Amino acid sequence: MCKYFISIFLFFMVVDGFCQKQKKDSLAIPKDSVTYKSPYGIRVGIDISKPILTSTSNSYSGLEIVADYRISKSIFLAAEFGYEEKTSEEDYTNSVAKGNYIRVGFNYNAYENWLDMNNEIFTGYRYGFSIFDQRLNNYTPNVNTNYFPANLISTPTTSSLNAHWSEFIVGLKVETFNNLFASISVSYKILMSVKEPENFKTLYSPGFNRIFESGTGFGFNYTISYLIPFTKK
Amino acid sequence: MKKIVLFILLIVLIFSACEKDDFCIKNPITAKLVIDFYDDANRETLKNVTSFYVWAEGKDSIYSNERISSISLPLNSLATETVYNFSKENIINQFTIRYTTQDEYVSRSCGYKIIFNEVTFLSDNTWINDFTPETLTTLDNQNEAHVQIFH
Repeated sequence: MCKYFISIFLFFMVVDGFCQKQKKDSLAIPKDSVTYKSPYGIRVGIDISKPILTSTSNSYSGLEIVADYRISKSIFLAAEFGYEEKTSEEDYTNSVAKGNYIRVGFNYNAYENWLDMNNEIFTGYRYGFSIFDQRLNNYTPNVNTNYFPANLISTPTTSSLNAHWSEFIVGLKVETFNNLFASISVSYKILMSVKEPENFKTLYSPGFNRIFESGTGFGFNYTISYLIPFTKK
Repeated sequence: MKKIVLFILLIVLIFSACEKDDFCIKNPITAKLVIDFYDDANRETLKNVTSFYVWAEGKDSIYSNERISSISLPLNSLATETVYNFSKENIINQFTIRYTTQDEYVSRSCGYKIIFNEVTFLSDNTWINDFTPETLTTLDNQNEAHVQIFH
């Protein structure tokens, strides 16, 4: 009889302990089992604004290829390279800058995705370098008088130039279809060094855009890129 | 926190965009020749020229029937010589300025200015008694009078 009671006690104790353990497990298991893997790979694309500008504006032509490679959860190595030709028509001068550029750096994705989404709100840094020619087509000396007007001077002079700069980027990337990304970004550029032509100024550098008086500039990128996934982590 | 950093970056971007190099606000770009008129008897004091007309050969008057002691005249950048006629009470005095020109780049909005080098002044001295200096190495600003004329 006694043995029977003890057995009942033991039985209840075990049940009690089981319940506790069971509860812990039921909480922990679903959390661990649901991990969304995100793709890692190389993403390549083009800046779609540049071909559009090329066909609509007669003072601009350009093309830019963009690529990035994911190295960790939120860091991407990124590079852009391209070609640009731009005519700067100012009040007193007319010049053309034409050449190639490359920008290399990284993006940091500051956006926490829901579930298996792969969108980005990113900031980034780039080092930019361009090699180009700037040709001064013509100019009119600014004599600020109509009493003795000045003539247009059309003796083109070309100088081979180069520029180095740093840029800071803020942008968005959205996965529109599977592995296809649309992105917009704004960049603020600070000129580190530029070769200036003699008795003139570098007004525009490919990849940098218009160089402002203080050696700064802006860029806008609208890109479409395709991700070639290597692995999922 | 990340959102705040992004927001601040965006604000910095927007405000640093405001740079004024679209309009040329420097004035003048190419300097004019500034002449002051002094009293020949008392060379420290300015003396007004009365019934004063100024024109370049074959051009309209820049000053007509004025009573002033300081004038600024444009120089012809397409030639190496500008001849002005100074008429005081119907007596004409020819004043010739000879120079070489040089183009110098100023800025995107202002373009190129003209610098006049090796400037020499000549006068046929009818009502002008004397002037100083006779030569200038360079004329590229209007901060002070370039020539003093005594009459």
